[in-house]
Amino acid sequence: MQGNELVDLLEPVEFIAIAAIVLFLAYLALEHRDIVYAVFSFGIMASLVAGFFLLLEAPFIAGMQIAVYTGGISVLIIFGVLLLPRAQDTTLEAFEGPSKRRVGLLVSIFAVVFAAALALLYEWPAPAGWDTGIPQQRVDLAQSLEQLAVWLWGEHGIYVQMIALVMVTALVGAIAVLKMEKAERMNPESKDYGIGSSNDGGDETPVVDGPEEPEDEQEEVAE
Amino acid sequence: MIPLSWYLTFSFMMIGLGAYGMAVKRNLIRVLIGAEIMANGVTVALVALSLYMETFTFTGQALVILVISVAAAHTALAMVLMLMYNSRYGTVDLGRPGIQEEMQSE
Repeated sequence: MQGNELVDLLEPVEFIAIAAIVLFLAYLALEHRDIVYAVFSFGIMASLVAGFFLLLEAPFIAGMQIAVYTGGISVLIIFGVLLLPRAQDTTLEAFEGPSKRRVGLLVSIFAVVFAAALALLYEWPAPAGWDTGIPQQRVDLAQSLEQLAVWLWGEHGIYVQMIALVMVTALVGAIAVLKMEKAERMNPESKDYGIGSSNDGGDETPVVDGPEEPEDEQEEVAE
Repeated sequence: MIPLSWYLTFSFMMIGLGAYGMAVKRNLIRVLIGAEIMANGVTVALVALSLYMETFTFTGQALVILVISVAAAHTALAMVLMLMYNSRYGTVDLGRPGIQEEMQSE
């Protein structure tokens, strides 16, 4: 019993420590001047959020959080930073006009206050044994993944199908967008903006490989 | 046991921080990071709510799996769109005024 009491005493300390570190790292991810360090801060923050899932008896979600966010998304963003050197321009930090910055701050403060008022004023049902002093019946960590798998795959397969649909849609969409970009490079359209616009010399750089190749070959033969 | 309001307060702070990043920043990568911070706040709130209900179900955790999958998918798609934006306009600046006119004048 003393061990359980000690765990119950340490839980708020763990929560406050993790919350403070996560909020600080999230702030760094948004405000650090060097965007590479900002992305690293985001990756560490995402792995620390997994600590909340461990506190909430969801170890599978914690592992998934570390695998996907820290191992996948933050690495993808770092690749994006490396592919986009202009993203490291420190002059792009915020809107210069104070009015837009003020509007952004007001929007974020409104979102926090509105959501907090909705959630904290609503009387959520207390968990079992909350008022009676009996410890809540916790999810068995060893059985959690098995129960989640049965719940997810056996009883609620629609969630898996939704995830599959979203992933396939994103994959096909990304491939289609890249194909469109490539096709536009090959056959630039004459528009007022972007690649192939009439003002940026788009007429001088058409890529027409077919008819030109035989001429080159003939010239080489003549030489 | 930690009260539910602590988790909800933390998740709202995360959502607000992400909203601040999405609203104020004009670097596209910072905007994407803001969206991911918001998604993290939402996942913490979902798992906490699922655990603190009177009868425990896995609905919250299943929704979190959905949210994480969607976050991964939208990050990949956002990176593709950023590359297209950069190749088209030569910058990842979201808020430069008159960006099309500048590109045309060049």
